[in-house]
Amino acid sequence: MDHIAPIVHKWGMEFDLAAIFMIIVTSIIVFVLARVCVRGASVDKPTKMQNFLEWVIEFVVGIIGTTMDFKKGKPYLTLGLALIMYIFVGNMLGLPLGIVSEAHHGATIFGMELDLGGEEEGHIAWWKSPTADVAVTAALTIVVILLTHIEGMRRNTKHYFKHYFEPYIPFLPLNLIKEVSKPLSLALRLYGNIFAGEVMIGVIVGGLSWAGVIPLIVWQAFSVFVGTIQAFIFVMLTMVYMSQAIVHEEKH
Amino acid sequence: MHIVWSTFGIQLVAFLILFWLLKRYAFGPLFGIMEQRKALIQSQLDNAENSRKQASQQLEEQKQALQQARKEAHDIIEQARATSSKQADDIIGTAKSEATRLKDDAVRDIDSEKNKAIAALRGEVGGMSVAIASKIIEKQIDEKSQEQLVDQYLKEVGSK
Repeated sequence: MDHIAPIVHKWGMEFDLAAIFMIIVTSIIVFVLARVCVRGASVDKPTKMQNFLEWVIEFVVGIIGTTMDFKKGKPYLTLGLALIMYIFVGNMLGLPLGIVSEAHHGATIFGMELDLGGEEEGHIAWWKSPTADVAVTAALTIVVILLTHIEGMRRNTKHYFKHYFEPYIPFLPLNLIKEVSKPLSLALRLYGNIFAGEVMIGVIVGGLSWAGVIPLIVWQAFSVFVGTIQAFIFVMLTMVYMSQAIVHEEKH
Repeated sequence: MHIVWSTFGIQLVAFLILFWLLKRYAFGPLFGIMEQRKALIQSQLDNAENSRKQASQQLEEQKQALQQARKEAHDIIEQARATSSKQADDIIGTAKSEATRLKDDAVRDIDSEKNKAIAALRGEVGGMSVAIASKIIEKQIDEKSQEQLVDQYLKEVGSK
């Protein structure tokens, strides 16, 4: 029993309704969380929630600080915070529950026909981690990678263009491959980890039924760990790539 | 792996909107607050340092003032002691001179009284001598009566 995504066609394009739904849910949760933390924030008497958010900020400041001089990396603090909160919340959302509906050929939603991939009937998963979708992680990655290239060109122009030809001009193809592999690895690592986690949950629940309760708890705990680590790694690598792009190392 | 490209675009837009919202309504204000707190803590540290300096300075001043006061008190006591001993000496000196003066006066009085007494005695003795002489001259007629007279006078003198 394979779960499929609720895909509909509109304006000649495919839309994954579950992914869109989860993107919106995750964004709202992140924004509400941040707003709740900031509400009633004060200079001398921080609330508990404010302390929590400030701890998160200190954490991201630490990540930036390990990769580059914090003065240079300060403009990316908000980006790092938005990324780590969005990815972390996204990773966690898929863990506790799943919403699955059964659909038969010809079923519609909002007046649009569901695409069951040619099958007569399918089990449609409505609730999942948005980060278990490669398009989502690719979008996040593109934001980051484009920004590193733009910032590299803007703040470190000479070194940025030179680094494609280092150490010698024939190394250009290798450097290009490196630049292409960065976003690919960044997007696929996050997607792979979270998607695999959800597949495993599906397998445990579907294959073992009641015998799977204990493995499920163990696996979910591990998924919490993986989700946290992946959010951290994503932001860490973002900052590493950023520092590679904007920091010009002195050569002797 | 089936990529739904619309999800890609939607996620891109959604993330940019989320980023903007977070920056505008959550992290922007919070960063401001954190900066303010940093400034506040810095100013409080400076204040504390200032107060500490002031306190130690005042302590030093107080110590000096105390020292000064002690010295002054000591001086005053010394002065008082000197004054009192001088006064005592004065009083004793005055008393001594007074006593000497009184003694001298007394001696002078005694002398003058003595002299007066001697002068008076002298006058009386002269008078008596004259009287005796005249009595002798009166009674020189006879030896007997003279003898009688001398005896009488001697008696008179002896009975006096």
